[in-house]
Amino acid sequence: MPSRRQPPPRSLDDLLRRHVIVCTGSGGVGKTTTSAALALRAADAGQRAIVCTIDPARRLAQSLGLDELDNSPRQVPDSAFGGDPPRGELWAMMLDMKTTFDDMILDLTTPERARAIFENPFYKHVSSTLAGTQEYMAMEKLWELHEEGRWELIVIDTPPTRSALDFLDAPRRLTDFLEGRLLKLLLWPTIAAGRGYLRALSFGTQVMLKTVTRVTGSELFADVASFFAAFEGMYGSFKARAERVKELLVAPRTAFVVVATPHEAMLREARYFAERLAEEHAPLGAVIVNRAHSVPSAPGLEDPLATEARTSDPALAWALRTYASWRELSLREDSLVCSVLGDIGRAPLWRVPDFAEEVHDIPALRRVAEALAGS
Amino acid sequence: MTPRLTGSRVAVVSGKGGVGKTTVAAALALASSRSGKRTLLMEVEGRQGIAPVFGHHAIGYQEHRLAPNLLGVSVEPDDALVDYLQLFYGIRRIGRVLAGTKAIEFATNTAPGLRDILLIGKAKEAERRREEGAYTFDHIVIDAPPTGRLPRFLGAPRAIADLVSGGPIRQQAQGVLDMVHDPKRLQVVLVAQPEDMPVRETEEAAENLRKMEIALGPVVVNGIWPEAPDLGGDPASALGSAAARLGLGEEAIARLSAVAAAHARRVAHQREAVAGLRRGIDLPMATLPFLFTPQIARAELEELASILAGSEAF
Repeated sequence: MPSRRQPPPRSLDDLLRRHVIVCTGSGGVGKTTTSAALALRAADAGQRAIVCTIDPARRLAQSLGLDELDNSPRQVPDSAFGGDPPRGELWAMMLDMKTTFDDMILDLTTPERARAIFENPFYKHVSSTLAGTQEYMAMEKLWELHEEGRWELIVIDTPPTRSALDFLDAPRRLTDFLEGRLLKLLLWPTIAAGRGYLRALSFGTQVMLKTVTRVTGSELFADVASFFAAFEGMYGSFKARAERVKELLVAPRTAFVVVATPHEAMLREARYFAERLAEEHAPLGAVIVNRAHSVPSAPGLEDPLATEARTSDPALAWALRTYASWRELSLREDSLVCSVLGDIGRAPLWRVPDFAEEVHDIPALRRVAEALAGS
Repeated sequence: MTPRLTGSRVAVVSGKGGVGKTTVAAALALASSRSGKRTLLMEVEGRQGIAPVFGHHAIGYQEHRLAPNLLGVSVEPDDALVDYLQLFYGIRRIGRVLAGTKAIEFATNTAPGLRDILLIGKAKEAERRREEGAYTFDHIVIDAPPTGRLPRFLGAPRAIADLVSGGPIRQQAQGVLDMVHDPKRLQVVLVAQPEDMPVRETEEAAENLRKMEIALGPVVVNGIWPEAPDLGGDPASALGSAAARLGLGEEAIARLSAVAAAHARRVAHQREAVAGLRRGIDLPMATLPFLFTPQIARAELEELASILAGSEAF
């Protein structure tokens, strides 16, 4: 699909002309803040933009002056903007995984089957704890928002884990998972008792089945089997949905943004995300490094510690020492960013300074957006 | 007297993402090993965060020597399951048989809590392991999932015990449950940063863990910025005349003032956050300095380990 690719955005405002922006990155790098700042900037420029977060700390709710974010989109009220509302509209929502999963099942099956699924003890766990469910539901919600067609820009936050990009190959994963041999066997009600059937299977499969039963206990096994039985008939729809979402994710008007902070571990995670995106042919729009300590030099400050030795003023001596530490940090961060992320492709790298204060209101989000635009 | 470091055999180190949880876990383990205790540092999220701070490329499922008295291990649920099956059932060839099938991926990803219980189960195995009549390890330090996922991680044995009424998995869950809820065997060390959000998350985590009846060790506040003198509201005028005497120009004074102001803001913010944490949490507190480097290597780790070892909180 390389012919469908767009060149990477030249500027923040160029990026915001896309239809979907997916923010990825490790926990604690400011992904939610970045997502909100991007949507706000688009709204300020006159677009109708929505940000969908899955952060359970409800930070975005506070940032946007909303008392609660639930699974449905809400327009951020004018009062949150402190007398300076955007030219367009800013909408926000928080993903509720369980509700999204329930809604999807209601949409795909009959009410009776849906009820059977909701009552299954295994489903109760699976809908909130199964690895990958969160990612899958985030993408399901993205698709719904896209289908609704009300927003020019959809900014979506992702879970702070490496597996956040697993939805990119969700169609394949789901196919493996749902059409897999093991699952067919699980659905085969005679399997537990049917030694005759067992003999027909490979030795590996036999051992596997026996151990799964032994390890998990027979009750859980039965719950799992009935869970999948209740899902029968929905597999095709699941897969079709996953394929549509994948299409949307690699579409020309979609961009991924990888967020990091200038620490070695976080930059390495960012690199991992960028490489993973390249593997899946997903378009990397920008890498954003938050909380960067960018301290420029100035004539006379080439060697601040030598200068410090020449002053007897304690305040100035302190300021020079502090400047020396910050400047050193700034240089180390820059060289680390270059060495870890230097060759990840043509996407722009933008830095947002460490504001030394937390970003939790609209003016602060606007400062973040401003810094991104000027980066 | 050698420092206790934590009051329990297992220290589960957790915190909000990005606060330096891995660094603190590594420093704690290093401090413990330097005091002569045989220590195991265990990573459970497969991120290979431990290896670089000790100057290694990667560590795997085999326990790997990081320093005198200190072994490191990176536990993957798949390996833990094979290990567990071998241990429990004595099925020697099972690893080879299962390799390449979807069984392990299925089992560890699908069965609720199984993944987590295999990981903590591995910690329990190390905690109970004996050689020649004595425990193999005096201390086990776990670089645990961030606080957002911690209740699920430590709650896995309870969830499994509720879901499965009998059989070996139930037995395993009970064994892990006993360890998780015994303050002499396991405590959680929460790591915070001197900022609002990490402080709030630390307080929430402490409350959740108390409700779960899991013991809390000291809190570590990581990244304390050096104090700033009071330059009044306008650093440029406070510094201006002395700077001019040194021959510094306008641009240099502007840069110096900007850094001085940013630093002072940072410190003021930090003071509030730390005071808030002291009010909100009734636990001993250790602090670690902000290191002006984006990379934590062995030298930084040694420095942090010395500070932890000398801290009254531990």
